[in-house]
Amino acid sequence: MARYLKITLSFLMITALITACKKDSPVDEDGLLITFRQECFVSNFELLGSDFVSVRSKTAVIDTVAQTIDVEVLFGTDLKNVYPQFSLATDCKLDPKVVGKTDLSDLANPKTYTVVSGNRKIRKPYKLNIKFQ
Amino acid sequence: MLASMAACKKEVYKIPDPVSSLTNDCIKRTIGPNIVGLPIEFAYAMAIPKSQGKIVSAQVEASIAGAASTFLEHRSFYTNSGGVDIPVTIGTPSVNKGATTTVTYSIDTNAATLRYYYVIPEEARGKSVSFTFSATSSDGKTVNYKLGPYAISKMDIKRNLAVSNANNAYISIEDMAVYNNTTLGSLASKIDLVYLYRAAPTTFTHALVSPGSDPAYLPGVVLPSGMTKKTKVRKVFNLQDRNLANLQFGIYIDDKDFQDLSLVDAPNYAIGLRAEAGTWVETADGKYRAYIFINSINAAGSAVISILRYTL
Repeated sequence: MARYLKITLSFLMITALITACKKDSPVDEDGLLITFRQECFVSNFELLGSDFVSVRSKTAVIDTVAQTIDVEVLFGTDLKNVYPQFSLATDCKLDPKVVGKTDLSDLANPKTYTVVSGNRKIRKPYKLNIKFQ
Repeated sequence: MLASMAACKKEVYKIPDPVSSLTNDCIKRTIGPNIVGLPIEFAYAMAIPKSQGKIVSAQVEASIAGAASTFLEHRSFYTNSGGVDIPVTIGTPSVNKGATTTVTYSIDTNAATLRYYYVIPEEARGKSVSFTFSATSSDGKTVNYKLGPYAISKMDIKRNLAVSNANNAYISIEDMAVYNNTTLGSLASKIDLVYLYRAAPTTFTHALVSPGSDPAYLPGVVLPSGMTKKTKVRKVFNLQDRNLANLQFGIYIDDKDFQDLSLVDAPNYAIGLRAEAGTWVETADGKYRAYIFINSINAAGSAVISILRYTL
């Protein structure tokens, strides 16, 4: 009887040790899961006006080597009140975050957005170049 | 144990008492903001057992007298199998006396539902209005039903104004009116926006541009002297206010939308407007905020607009 009790207790202790040693899934400062992915690029870009309708006159050109996004906007676009939308590679995130209405009216000083890979080790800054139709 | 016994106790359904005397009920049918000049609709129902007599009169008293066109229906409606409301005349057309509207029954009936349309008067702007509905029966009894108070909006509304390129093109938010070169007279300084249409560039089309805007947005336009206002304008899509859109859609713009609106960094032009689009507007003197809804457009260079205005 005592033997069975010892075996059961040992089994329970081993289980407790395994559970205790299990690491939590790593998350970053935004609470997002840090993965093993190294892909780091912008796959698509959209620019919406204050009425949430696209203000692009043609598809944005994304150069993942030069790390630039060239977008041509419609005549009369109010660039002080636009909503940029980035599509990123899986598990990536953007820095700075786009939290709403954005002012992109300073065409002489294009804004830079950095893509951060899923493993949070690779950072690629993309320059957003805007010109009018 | 005690709890389970109590929990299992069945409540015997009790058949409600039938109506044994004159009784009434009322609902407000209108939703959305209460705007001066527009009606608030109610449905007032009253009934009395046949053995007790008949209904003699119905009346509504408002805390602020309604506009002259306020009325209480003298017809009771029922809905037929096709879903159509069918009227049955129960009395003479209503009479307004001060803040009270009365219908006197002319037929022998013991149940009716009458619609009441309170047309909001100018005096009620920014205040609250309450209503007391009452009915009297032939046995001398009276019942009443109170509703409200309801807040009356500070907004003004003007619907279906025709604008056209180089003709009825000058829009004044203060006057809530559209002018052309003939009717403008000395009102040039009151003009907040100019309507224009340009087929090219294709993104220009229908536009509302403030007179003081960059001339690039007023191509070929020669403005009368004194027209210089820089009105702030922001394009909006999918905001079809039910009142502006002639009772289509289920969206309402209310006072709070204008109070919370910020057009600090808005441009002073809106181009590429489409039917059912709109623009938030703030006048250069900061006195008014408005929402201009595009009811319809015509490729020949004209449009129909409606304006909702809020005085700051």
